[in-house]
Amino acid sequence: MAEAETDARRLATEARDRVRFEEEALGLADQVYRVARRLVPSREEAEDLVQETYARAFRSWRSYTPGTNLRAWLMRILTNLNIDRGRREQRAPDMQPMEEGDYFLYNRLEETSGPADEERIVERLSQDSIVEALSNVPHDFRDAIVLVDIGDFSYQEAAQILDVPIGTVMSRLHRGRRVLKSELAESAVSDGDEP
Amino acid sequence: MSEFEPICEKCEERLQPFLDRELSEAERLEAETHLAECDYCGKRYRFEISLRRYVRSCCSEEMSSELKAKLANLRLAE
Repeated sequence: MAEAETDARRLATEARDRVRFEEEALGLADQVYRVARRLVPSREEAEDLVQETYARAFRSWRSYTPGTNLRAWLMRILTNLNIDRGRREQRAPDMQPMEEGDYFLYNRLEETSGPADEERIVERLSQDSIVEALSNVPHDFRDAIVLVDIGDFSYQEAAQILDVPIGTVMSRLHRGRRVLKSELAESAVSDGDEP
Repeated sequence: MSEFEPICEKCEERLQPFLDRELSEAERLEAETHLAECDYCGKRYRFEISLRRYVRSCCSEEMSSELKAKLANLRLAE
């Protein structure tokens, strides 16, 4: 019964590989969620998106090559699902994001509330204003910021996940950070205007 | 720090590529030399570093334990 034995062994190996895959994938869930939460506007949508991602990942685990980057593989599924479902809010076509130079936000903060320790001056920005400013960054730019700055993906990984050349990731990242800072400068100024 | 600190934009364009390690060796050395002597640019570089860290901590939201349990269930349901 050598054949049956081989079959049994093959099944056992597959079951073991599968369990290993699932455990490894679940171990990355916190990181996957953290990115998902900033790619979509609400917590509910982020939770749905992560669930759909894992459902699909568990179904198609065989297409993952062991030893390759599972975190990026999961994120690729997630960003594709996000695009497929048309979840990403559309930006009005005529709205060009405002971009200022890279010193602009610091200068503005110094102007509105006086000089301070440059490492503490960020604390003049509230957590809510940071979250809101990021959500106002157009999604192409924001995806790059979220993957690299919040998800800790390398430029190369972000390029693979978004399916764009690495130079595009860089330029979106740089422009996105400038837009983010312009948004923050605006909110810092309007907060300062309040009585 | 002087009240009339001169404005310097020498390193502004290089801020992001410097922090992202995208500059050539020569450009990086040039930026480092400037940063060592220019307080104006140095402050803005340190600000950028702390801003990135701050954005990351403000925007990192943990998943709920309910969601975690749901994900584990997806696996068992198969």
